[in-house]
Amino acid sequence: MPQKAIWLMIIFTLLFVLGINTGDLEYLMHLGNTICLSCIGVG
Amino acid sequence: MVALRWLIQTLVALGTNAYFLFPWGPVIYQGPLKAVCHPGLNCYSCPAALLSCPVGAIQNFIASLRYTAPGNFPHLGAMVVGYLGFIGTLVGRLPCGWLCPFGFIQDLLNKVPSPKFSLWAPLRWLKYVVLVVMVILMPFFLLDQYGLGQPWFCKLLCPSGTMLGALPLVILKPALWTTLGFYFWNKITILIAIVILAIFISRPFCRMLCPLGAFYSLFSRMTLVRLEFVEGNCVDCRACVKACPTGVKPYLEKDSRECIMCLRCLDSCHFQALSFDLRRPLPHHVEKPHTAS
Repeated sequence: MPQKAIWLMIIFTLLFVLGINTGDLEYLMHLGNTICLSCIGVG
Repeated sequence: MVALRWLIQTLVALGTNAYFLFPWGPVIYQGPLKAVCHPGLNCYSCPAALLSCPVGAIQNFIASLRYTAPGNFPHLGAMVVGYLGFIGTLVGRLPCGWLCPFGFIQDLLNKVPSPKFSLWAPLRWLKYVVLVVMVILMPFFLLDQYGLGQPWFCKLLCPSGTMLGALPLVILKPALWTTLGFYFWNKITILIAIVILAIFISRPFCRMLCPLGAFYSLFSRMTLVRLEFVEGNCVDCRACVKACPTGVKPYLEKDSRECIMCLRCLDSCHFQALSFDLRRPLPHHVEKPHTAS
């Protein structure tokens, strides 16, 4: 197995876990539940 | 393989945009699935969208770094970067070819009978500029009148957001009409241009402008799975080049950053010169060829 890919996958998994533990999940949920005015082009 | 890809693209596009109660309930889906990012570009303001958009999420995370309250841990977006990085390392740009709803829409548009043109190769680098400038730098440094960062890619460019988010919402909520101005019409113009281009050029947005594709492509040289080229079997018929929707020459470019792993080249090759396999590790001791001194 290519070592570089395995190491990167471990690092990204740790990043993912770090994000979950620092409240990224709640932030994303809140974000996704609001209408994105920028996407519509308001302003 | 072609039929399987069409089936998966259709199922993913419909399955991740399956909130059909929006005319009667909240105008967008507001459930727990929104904590999960789509692996492709799919606007989270699309009324039917069940998942969040990873590019929109990253921009909002970066923009939020400027106004983190003292004592609070900043939202770095590590979860989304980890999620996308994991996918990128595992399969590279495969989500572009198989899972992205906006890529699927461009594939459908390219089916319209018309003369087909190739893309001027240097334009492929634009997507990296979009990723760095619009997705990372502008949301952090460019503040609005209230001192807040904005998701500038969504605001200025994203045609997926215009097609799947803006147009349905503007139709559903007439109250929004009075708020529409330069940004809306700018995005409509870009969407029309991309739609017309997609009829004549295969996947113009993915190849020129998509920051998600640019991010995934950073891992193309180290993905766990890859397209293998068996030189001995190649008869130089160039069928793979004709089949490739992103203009890759599989016999020349190994681990191309443009390859979306749609595997159309694999289907087109009748000589088993291409295979889709796990990346093999390099041998530890490669003997150098003897050269005459």
